[in-house]
Formats: sequence, structure tokens, C-alpha cells
Amino acid sequence: MTQSPPESETVASSPGDTEPAVDPLREFADSVADAVNGEAIVAFDTVKVKVPADRWVDSLAIARDHLGLVFFSWLSAIDWANETQAGDPLSEEVEERVEILATVADLSEGKRVTFSTDLPHETPVIDSLVEVYAGANWHEREAHEMFGIDFRGHPNLSHLYLPESFIGTPLRKSYPLLSREVKPWPGTVDVEAMPETGPSTENPEA
Amino acid sequence: MTTIDADAVRHLAEAQVSVELQTEEMTLNIGPQHPSTHGVLRLVARVDGERAFDVTPVIGYMHRGYEKLSEVRTYPQITALINRIDWVSGYANEIPFVVAAEKLMELEVPERAQYIRLILTEMARISSHLMFLAAYPLELGAGTPLFFSLRERERVLDLIESVTGGRFHPNFNRIGGVKPAYGSGSTTRKQSQDLPAGFLAEASDAMARVDAVCDQIEDLVTGNEIILARTKGVGIIPREVVAAYGVSGPIMRASGVEFDLRKTENYLPYDRFDFEIPVGQNGDCWDRWWVRFQEVRQAVRIVQQAVDDIPPSGPLQAKVPKVIKVPAGETYVRAENPKGEMGYYLVSDGGQGPYRLKIRSASFSNISILPWILEGVLVPDIIAIMGSLDFVLGDVDR
Amino acid sequence: MDFLTDLFANPWVALGGKVLLVAVMVPLLALLLGFAELKLSAKMQARVGPYFAGGRWGWAQLIADGVKFFQKEDLIPEDADRPVFKMAPILVLMSTVALLVVIPFGPDLVFQDLSIGVFYALAISSIGTIGVLMAGWSSANKYSLMGGLRAAGQLIAYELPLVLAVVGVVIMAGTMSLSGIVEAQANAPIPYFIPQALGFAIFMIATLAELTRIPFDMPIAESELVMGFVTEYSGFRFLFFFLAEYANMFTMSAIAVTLFLGGYWLPGIPESTLAYAGPLILAAKVFLLVFAMIWFRWTFPRFREDQLQALAWKWLIPLALVNIVATAAFKVIF
Repeated sequence: MTQSPPESETVASSPGDTEPAVDPLREFADSVADAVNGEAIVAFDTVKVKVPADRWVDSLAIARDHLGLVFFSWLSAIDWANETQAGDPLSEEVEERVEILATVADLSEGKRVTFSTDLPHETPVIDSLVEVYAGANWHEREAHEMFGIDFRGHPNLSHLYLPESFIGTPLRKSYPLLSREVKPWPGTVDVEAMPETGPSTENPEA
Repeated sequence: MTTIDADAVRHLAEAQVSVELQTEEMTLNIGPQHPSTHGVLRLVARVDGERAFDVTPVIGYMHRGYEKLSEVRTYPQITALINRIDWVSGYANEIPFVVAAEKLMELEVPERAQYIRLILTEMARISSHLMFLAAYPLELGAGTPLFFSLRERERVLDLIESVTGGRFHPNFNRIGGVKPAYGSGSTTRKQSQDLPAGFLAEASDAMARVDAVCDQIEDLVTGNEIILARTKGVGIIPREVVAAYGVSGPIMRASGVEFDLRKTENYLPYDRFDFEIPVGQNGDCWDRWWVRFQEVRQAVRIVQQAVDDIPPSGPLQAKVPKVIKVPAGETYVRAENPKGEMGYYLVSDGGQGPYRLKIRSASFSNISILPWILEGVLVPDIIAIMGSLDFVLGDVDR
Repeated sequence: MDFLTDLFANPWVALGGKVLLVAVMVPLLALLLGFAELKLSAKMQARVGPYFAGGRWGWAQLIADGVKFFQKEDLIPEDADRPVFKMAPILVLMSTVALLVVIPFGPDLVFQDLSIGVFYALAISSIGTIGVLMAGWSSANKYSLMGGLRAAGQLIAYELPLVLAVVGVVIMAGTMSLSGIVEAQANAPIPYFIPQALGFAIFMIATLAELTRIPFDMPIAESELVMGFVTEYSGFRFLFFFLAEYANMFTMSAIAVTLFLGGYWLPGIPESTLAYAGPLILAAKVFLLVFAMIWFRWTFPRFREDQLQALAWKWLIPLALVNIVATAAFKVIF
């Protein structure tokens, strides 16, 4: 897994941040994980709670009703694949899967939790969240057209951004970028190095 | 939630401008060409006389594939792209992204750079809200606040341009700080340059003028009975809908939710400044106008305090290697952008570019309530409500 | 000079001269008022307005626009009802021209003084409504039709307050002839906008609605910001509508001035001076009202259609009726 170790403390990398060693974020994460029976990861000021796929809707319903996380921020996915058609491949091999993320927050203190679950790589299917958070409608449509995830129970899983006739799931790692096929990416160094001394008024020929 | 037949939506989406004038209802195609700043949004509305029911937004005309593009770009290249997401408030789009990268790299941004970031972000907020204050009365029919407001906005944009080189697309942030002004990559001048001379004094002066034009606009608009008749009680968004749909920013605050990410998140040193959060009561179009109006005044306050408080000298960027590689990790950073909550979920694999960058844009969630809120609304009110949501299609479509 | 007097003694020549004069006045007035609108609105919005056409003042801007309109292609939509389509702008313009005929510019300076002047003026101005409906209908465009129907609804709704507001003046003056009303104000001597303040206010609001100017321009501005019933008109047909709007501003303001502000009369000026100073006084008063109209246009947003109708039916008509009853009561009692 390409993540930092789950037990790391939040690092004082943001301005004006003087967090003590006992971490309120860690406490909050643990309380959420207990409530939904998931696994909490706290890293870089972000709380991520992993739940199994069959308890996806239930966990978010508990978050909305009992944890005060009523604000639906976003829902999207990450395609963990070992081969990519565009971009750099992963530095180490991972188990291929599609990871769904949904971030919900509260409206008083700014606490937020990113719930996550793993789906099979080839045919990701999961229950829709529209009954719990009405705003998930458009986010799930986008995830469907970009990743090919099927949301059971969604009222209208048509394309949101892409035209109806579009074939393919663009944000998958297996989807190539046409311009890269036509012209290969030059790599890390794509500009000429600056000359050490440029032409100046004394030395126009340099 | 209305159940929309997928086939009917597809048929409507492919229909040309032809309008079937039946006796009972008519399908009205509003857009995608809009005579306002919003952009290419298309609303397919079924209209019965004056009332619209079943309004379906069709978006995606400006989808540029930012998330896929980010996977094949390096971090400095991405900052050049993302300030084009919400093009009215260009500078503010870059901030959460660089803060996310800096979190993963565990960098400490120098204080002067943070103040400069904060001043420019608040100027971007003023610029975005002045555009709203100009365009919204125009959609309602009043042509004059446009000119007053845009005149002062030009002043603010000139200031942003004097520092960053660009009015709308500054590309001014660097991982670890801000770009030293006037070209630090020059080979003949080895030292980096700081803010242009006189910038702080001009910024104070511009803020005073923005405050003055706010007074003028207040006279023109706030007491005007016709504007009140057109906006009071129109397009009410209750608190539950705000939470369920993820509506953020001034719209959320107009509906009575006292919440501002500047007070709860720590991506910029807002805790050192004294400012208020305007909160509306009813959640109608008038409250959304009023909240943005007050936010301009509060932003002016913040800039004036920051200009007085800024450390007189200091480094502008933390020490970063020439080729930036962000260590592996995931983080989500969100910021209070003028349009609402903008966030970046950055998944890094230790490379020169992200493995996955999820962009949470404010307007996308803000206009997902359109089918809900435009149900049973009079056709002229559609214009009033959409204008009050103040969205930008670049932000919606990414 | 005798030759000219003899010539114009012939009634047909006099008639021809009057027709020519009216025909020339209408575009000139429209030009003047249009230019006033451009410059005044610019001043209110911290801009300069027309600047290049004809030197620094830009006075030739509208003349240039007129020439531009004339040389455009005459486009008629294929499905349009051709005779109706061509007739509509003429009808709108002619109602304005016909209004100009009864306005007294001086003690004897009126094209034709009718004993039923007020009645005639209001009746003729409503013919313009028919022209608007014809334009919307014949354009073979659903948006034009919607705009035309909305305009028709608005114009008909505001006819009633317009007429009722005038009744108070007629009661006070005792005559429907416009020259007679000016003389009544001169004899009183008080311009009627003081006792008839309510009637004056109602008349001005109804006039703004009849001209479909902001705050009442929903028919023009709403239909997806295409020009409502005027959408399919281009070239000189559009010029007719444009001239009609500004000339109408003048004529309706002139009627208002005649009825309420004393017309060509000012207190203290003898009758002999009024013979040639009358038109200037009238023009000055009209310009005041036109200035107010321009000012309103750029200050206020527009009403929604239902709010507009509610204003007419629920507020203006009852108030106008109250005004009539009060005026009649005063006249009988005092």
C-alpha cells in the first residue's frame, strides 16, 4: 500500500499549527471508526476510515445521523493499477482495485472524514448513496462515467460530463491519452537547459 | 427526488433549438449560450405557461479533463493549469493544491510568503464578489451597478497583475512559498525580487476605494423596492438541503449556517486577523446577495490588517530541491474559495506528479441543487435564482 | 411673403405642409432624444458615451446608425405572414405620429385642435398595441410570440390607469380639448400636477409601462434576452420601432406636460410672448420628464410580469378611481 504508516501523528507542516502530542484528530478518528466498525487512518491532517463494501451505505448513514457529519463534500474513486497507459507507473506493486472515497463533514467545527472502501478492479459495483445524501447523485454519475463503477439503486446513471455516445472510462489507468499516443512524452526534462551566461550588452555573441 | 427517465433525458439532450408549442407544456432550452458570466450551461426546462417544472441541467460543455491531465504533469506544471478552474478568482484555486503538496513534503512556508498568499487570496475574493455585485443586478435589469463595481475591480486586478504578472491566471504559487516577483529565473540577476515598490500603499488605497464603491452600490441596490420584490422570498434553500447537497460558501451562509473554512482550517494564517462571518436568515436570493456584499467589506478589512502586519522582509520560498518529488501519502486540503469550498485530494506515490488528484470544486455541488430548487418556479425567477448562485462553468466542469 | 401666405391659404397646401412638418419632426425628435439617452446614461455610469462619430461630442452617432439601418438587407422570415409583418412597424410609428397632431405647441400652434383631444390621444396611442401584437404574431418565431403576448398583456393592463388618471384633469378643466386644458390651467392659474398629484404619478407610471421601458420592460428583456416581439425585424423596419419608441417618449411626455404641467404656459408670461416662446417652454418641460424617464431606466431593475400586473390592477386602478371620485366631489362642493 502506498500510504504512510497508519499510526503517524499529524505533522506541524501548516502555518500557525501548534498541535500537542496527544492528537484530538486521532481521538476523533478512533471514535468514528468505532461507530462504523471500520479502520481509521490519520495522516497529514486527514482522517480516512476504511469500511467493507457491503456496509458502505450503513456506515455513511451512521455518520450522518449519529456523528454529526451531515455535509456531503464529494465522492470519487482511485484506480489502483500496476500498469498505466498515461503517467508514471506505481513505484511498488499493489493489489489492483478501485477504491471509492466519500468525504463528509460537519457544519460546526470543520471536522471531516473520508470514508473509503475497496471494490474489485474489473467490475466495481456498490450501492448508491443517494438515499443517505441527496448530493451524491451527480458525484456518482461522474464516478460512473469516469471509472465505470456501477451504483446500484441510483435513479439515473447517465453521463454527466461526457456526451452520451462516448465510449470508455477516461480516469482509469488503462485509458490512454490520445495526444500521448501521437507524440511521445519527452520525459522529465522537456526543456533545454538555460545557458550559463546569456547574451548581454557587452557580449552579444555569447 | 424526481425520477427522470434516462431515455427522455437523452432525447432532450439531443434536441435542437426547435420548440414544440403544445397547448399544455413547452420544452424550453435555456442555453448553452448565456448572456451572462456563467458560461455554457444548458437547462432543459419543461414549461407550463409561466411555470417551469422538471428542469434538467446539462453540463460538461467545458470539461477539460483536469484530473486526467494532472496525472501526466509535474507539480509546478499543475499550478499553471488549476488557476483556470474558477477563472473569476484565479489565485484562490492554487492555494489548496500547493498547501496539500507542502503538507506531504512537510514544508514550513515562510511567514512573508503566507501573508502575500493571504493578501492575494482575499483580493481574489474581492474580485470575484465584485463581479457578482456587477452582474446580478444586470440580470435583474439594473444596468448601473455594473459600471461602478467593475471600475473598482479593475483596480484590484491591476494590483494582482503588478505582483503576479497575470490578472486572472497568476500561476504565482510555488511549492514551498510564492514566486519571487519579476523573474527569479533570470541568469543575470541572481537575487530574487520581492513585492513591487509601493504595492502595500496602493493596496491600502484600493481597499479604501472598494469600500467606497460598496457604499455606492448599497445606496443603489439595498433600499430598492423592485430588487427586494424580485429577490426576497425567491429561491429559498433550507439548511437540510444545503447539507445534503454539499452546497458551500456564501450560499450556505445565506441559509443560516454559520460556518467558514477560514476559521476552521489552517491553510493560511487567518487566525491572526479579525473579521466576521456574515450569516443570512432566510436563504433566499436576497440573503445570498447580502452575504457576498458583506464578505467584500470583511475581505477589505482583512487585507488592510494584513498590509499593516506583513513582516517587512523575509524569504519567499522554503528550501526545495530543483526537481520536486512529493513523498508518498494522501491528504485532503480544503479552502474557503469565493464560490465555496474548494478542495484537493492528493494521492502521491513519491513521483514528480500526483498519482491521482481529485478536485472538489464548489460550483459543481452548488448547482447540483438546480433540479430541486427550480421546481415549480416562474421563468423570470429562474434567471434570478441562477444568478444568485454565482457559479462559473469552469468550476462546474473542471 | 404674400406669395407664401396666399399659397398656404389653400387648405390642401396647408394640409400638405402640416403633414410634411410632422413627418420631419418625428425622426428629428427621435434623434434628439436618443442622443440624450446615450449621453445621459453614460454620465450616470461614469462613462463618456458616443465619442467618435462627428467629433468629440459624438453627435452624429445616431445619424450614422440611421444610415446603417437603411443600408441593411431587408430580411423577412420565410414562414412570416408578409403583409402583417410589413404593416406592424408602420402601425406602431403611425400611432405616434397621429398623437403629435393634437399637442398644442403654443396658443395657436397646434396641427389640429380637436374638441375631443384627450379622448383621441388615448385612443390613438392604443393602436400601437395592435401593432405590437401584429409584430409578435407574424414573426413566425415562438419567442417573438411569447414576447408579443406578454407585451400585449402589459400594454392593455396599463391602458386603464392611463385613461382613469386623465379623467380627473378633464373634470377640473371642463373640456377634453388639449388647448382648452392648457388655457384652463393658465386661467386657474395653477398647473394641474399640484391638485392632481396622484393622477400625475399614476399617469407617469402608466406611461413608462406603455413605452415598455425599465422598470416595465419584461416583454423585451425576458425572452432569453432576444428582443421579444422585435426579434425578427432588421434594417429599416427595426428603425421604425426604434424611432417609434423615442418619438413616443416625446409625445407621451408632451401629453403629460399638457395635461399636468401647464403645456406651453408659464405663469407671468404674456400671451403674445407665448406665441413664439411656447414651443420652447413645452420642449423644456418635456425634457424634464424625459430626463426622469432616462434616470429611472438606469436606476431600477425590471419587474416580473406578475408583479407588474399586480401593480396595475391592484394599486393603480383603485387609486385612480379614488382620485376621480375625490376630484368630482371637490368640483361639486367648491
